[in-house]
Amino acid sequence: LENCIGSLSTLDSVTLMYPSSTEFETLLFSCNDWRLSYVNKEFAVCPSYPPIVIVPKSIDDEALRKVATFRHGGRFPVLSYYHKKKWNGKWYRTVIMRSGQPLTGTNGRRCKEDEKLINATLRAGKRGYIIDTRSLNVAQQARAKGGGFEQEAHYPQWRRIHKSIERYHILQDSLIKLVEACNDQTHNMDRWLSKLEASNWLTHVKEILTTACLAAQCIDREGASVLIHGAEGTDSTLQAASLAQIILEPRSRTVRGFEALIEREWLQAGHPFQQRCAQSAYCSSKQKWEAPVFLLFLDCVWQILRQFPCSFEFNEHFLIMLFEHAYASQFGTFLGNNESERCKLKLQQKTMSLWSWVNRPSELSKFANPLFEANNLVIWPSVAPQSLQLWEGIFLRWNRSSKYVDEAYEEMVNIIEYNRELQAKVNILRRQLAELETEDGLRESP
Amino acid sequence: MEFSELIRTGRAQAELLPGPEEAPLRGTLCVTGHHLLLSPGPPSTPDLWLLLLRSVDSIEKRVAGDSGTITLRCKDLRVLQLDIEGVEATLDIARSIEALSSLESVITSFPFFYRPKGLRLGDAWHFHPPERYYKRVARETNAWRLSEVNQDFSLCSSYPRAVIVPRAVDDDALAQCARFRQGGRFPVLCYHHAPSGTVLLRSSQPLTGPQKRRCAEDEDLLRAVLTGARPGAQGFIVDTRSSQAAKQARMTGGGTEAKAAYPGWKRLHRPLERGRALQESFVRLVEACGDTEQSMDRWLSRLEGCRWLAHVKEALSTACLAAQGMEREGACILVHGAEGTDSTLLVTSLTQLILDPLSRTITGFQELVEREWIQAGHPFQLRCAHSAFSHTRPKHEAPTFLLFLDCVWQLGRQFPLSLEFGEGLLLALFEHAYASPFGTFLCNSEKERCLCEVRTRTHSLWSGLNQPKEQRKLRNPLYVPNPLAIWPSVEPQSLRLWQGLFLRWTRPPEPSEVAWEKVWQIVTEREKTGDSAHSFCLSSQPKQ
Repeated sequence: LENCIGSLSTLDSVTLMYPSSTEFETLLFSCNDWRLSYVNKEFAVCPSYPPIVIVPKSIDDEALRKVATFRHGGRFPVLSYYHKKKWNGKWYRTVIMRSGQPLTGTNGRRCKEDEKLINATLRAGKRGYIIDTRSLNVAQQARAKGGGFEQEAHYPQWRRIHKSIERYHILQDSLIKLVEACNDQTHNMDRWLSKLEASNWLTHVKEILTTACLAAQCIDREGASVLIHGAEGTDSTLQAASLAQIILEPRSRTVRGFEALIEREWLQAGHPFQQRCAQSAYCSSKQKWEAPVFLLFLDCVWQILRQFPCSFEFNEHFLIMLFEHAYASQFGTFLGNNESERCKLKLQQKTMSLWSWVNRPSELSKFANPLFEANNLVIWPSVAPQSLQLWEGIFLRWNRSSKYVDEAYEEMVNIIEYNRELQAKVNILRRQLAELETEDGLRESP
Repeated sequence: MEFSELIRTGRAQAELLPGPEEAPLRGTLCVTGHHLLLSPGPPSTPDLWLLLLRSVDSIEKRVAGDSGTITLRCKDLRVLQLDIEGVEATLDIARSIEALSSLESVITSFPFFYRPKGLRLGDAWHFHPPERYYKRVARETNAWRLSEVNQDFSLCSSYPRAVIVPRAVDDDALAQCARFRQGGRFPVLCYHHAPSGTVLLRSSQPLTGPQKRRCAEDEDLLRAVLTGARPGAQGFIVDTRSSQAAKQARMTGGGTEAKAAYPGWKRLHRPLERGRALQESFVRLVEACGDTEQSMDRWLSRLEGCRWLAHVKEALSTACLAAQGMEREGACILVHGAEGTDSTLLVTSLTQLILDPLSRTITGFQELVEREWIQAGHPFQLRCAHSAFSHTRPKHEAPTFLLFLDCVWQLGRQFPLSLEFGEGLLLALFEHAYASPFGTFLCNSEKERCLCEVRTRTHSLWSGLNQPKEQRKLRNPLYVPNPLAIWPSVEPQSLRLWQGLFLRWTRPPEPSEVAWEKVWQIVTEREKTGDSAHSFCLSSQPKQ
């Protein structure tokens, strides 16, 4: 782990393209059922996947090619997260996998290699869960267009759960309505609350968090592996998978861990940033592929951060900064829709990485959470509607000066700084005292 | 009436479920005259769990087989469940609790028996007498005097013994004014704003009636206020009723100040909700907060429908209006509604928090609550008889004081460095206003408190709260004295639901408590490290 962090922090002007291999290598030291596959190194098998993916050891590259023809966009199931838990003295390993929808179509096609692949992730005698982020209806209708879902007959060891998460223009509309409500100057409380409700934004936040909690529960409480997919596997799939990791894994709540999570589960995983973040809430021209999927993810992280104020190494400003850079940035990190495009555009050579700037100590200090206390726990957020709040740091940011809240924050940071200085001073004085005492053993100590 | 007559069953075996995140307690349940006790059997810790019976708002009982369940809903919004062995025992205990929690008599209530170690009776009662406040006013201006015309409460039964009135008005004139105002509540001084030399007053409605009566002394009083303030000062009367309601009040003997009779005073109407409607709003909000299974849409729609936040906004807006009048326009302000005991006090106390830095200190705030709510005659006994869970028909209950605390919380949220106290103090005041072992919130007026000898026979909440061990929970570690007025934003987007109160028991409070504790640790560490650095500095001076 230390090597991994070390290598991440020495990367300067290079976008984190390949260090995932070092990260994953540390992962592989602890599990011998998995391997790195370079089958996609020319992006020929799956254009939206990165060049290196992690797959079960028992599946060879040929099989992977076949599976890729059976999944939407070539997105065959890959490892997203690996969870180790001690139960009754024994270690259990469960995983989160993600993929695109199976292309069963109306004929009920099947792919034995696909079945073998995901069955390889199951623990002996245990079932797995497939979390489909579409409602049952939508999943069934997808068959008419060549898509579909995993049929019980072909995947008897897997139980399928549908947990619908909205996508595409519905999300974009929701964002537009919310921003409009926030800018409403009519000063009427009823109107504000009613517009907030009509935007449905918080409903989406609740949906996504609920799905992530479900995945995390399967992993941690049931000890079962999980496969998450929607239709394309590039939006709600990534939201659920990455949030589940925040819940389960303390490392993803540290600054470096979170950056690695974004790199792995969003950037390399092929979330189409260029399309999704082309326009935001104020744009009046016709919207095509825009959707605030990443912003919703950040909102969900913020909700968890608010409920567990001592469990995150970073603060709200870090998340706000990521939101800004996803839409418009002087850095190349969020450009392009997937690794293939980033390679073609030669971003690694031509652009600076956001992480190289953010990880400088002077910048990082602004994003540090002074209340952070490292813990090893799984943290379970409440998804009751009363526990979810509007993220004023993003949505009400420009409405009124946050001067006083900032002042309070400043004050706290100053107190902590001052604390450190004083502690250092005390240490110096202690040493001096010790020296004085030993120098002159006859003199009485003060 | 003996307590023992009301207790049907002495004790029973029971299991208590205190809340969603706490472990259940098992032991022997016992009903006493004032408390419900659970003595945990082994293997639990030997701490006794107790509940003041007065804090029970409503009881539900269910029996099945040979045991029963009692659900207690408390006035501080906590919900407790007791599983009791024995159907008879369950029914008897439920009946006992019902009878004991709704006793009306003040002098047999628990504060008259509460004698904690470490507190002296009569301690801290002398903290906030009107004389002391008058001294502060007298330092700033000599246009006012302390009048003891109400010494025996004969002039106004809801005012304290001493009030601050214009120097130019004598006691006989005050007697006339008292006859012209509802309940005898003639205009008195709340606050003198030194930077602008203007004053804040409160009263009740003038009894003009359908005949449009006038009272020369009342008019003189208000004229004296203006001349005593600044030459050419104008006055605003902030009426907390809508103009229709004010007009209608004339039919039943009340009314408003006629423009011609009070030159220099302009009337503004800022209707604030009160009484039954406010209690309804509170009940609906608490209902919505208790349902964690509902959809987001339903939650938001219920939040909107209960209108609680709209009331918070209106109260803060009116206070801002009064404060602006005083600070920015140099005008004197008189606030009244109908009776002058509810929304009036809400506005005057909030206005002082906005303008007066002293009321934002811990002592200053306690004094503000004493002066502007308790001594000013807010009928706590009536208003806080029942909270949001009660099944009984509401009579005079209304959460006006809670609305005040909510507004203070909003101020604290918008100005996190400017209040010396934190949410902990506000929550404590909310709890104690409804049910308390202390006598501070008993009765409806100073007159009643004198009759019941509250101040000599019960302990004051302030003495309890001001003990050093309580301070950590109540103080704001980030406080920095701020001499300026603080102007809250009353945009709906800036006002929030007070989660710490309304959602206190429905979701685990630990994370924010942990965070608060952490902040305290950081701050006190700084003090300790500062001290030790200082002492090291001194001690390491080389002795040559």
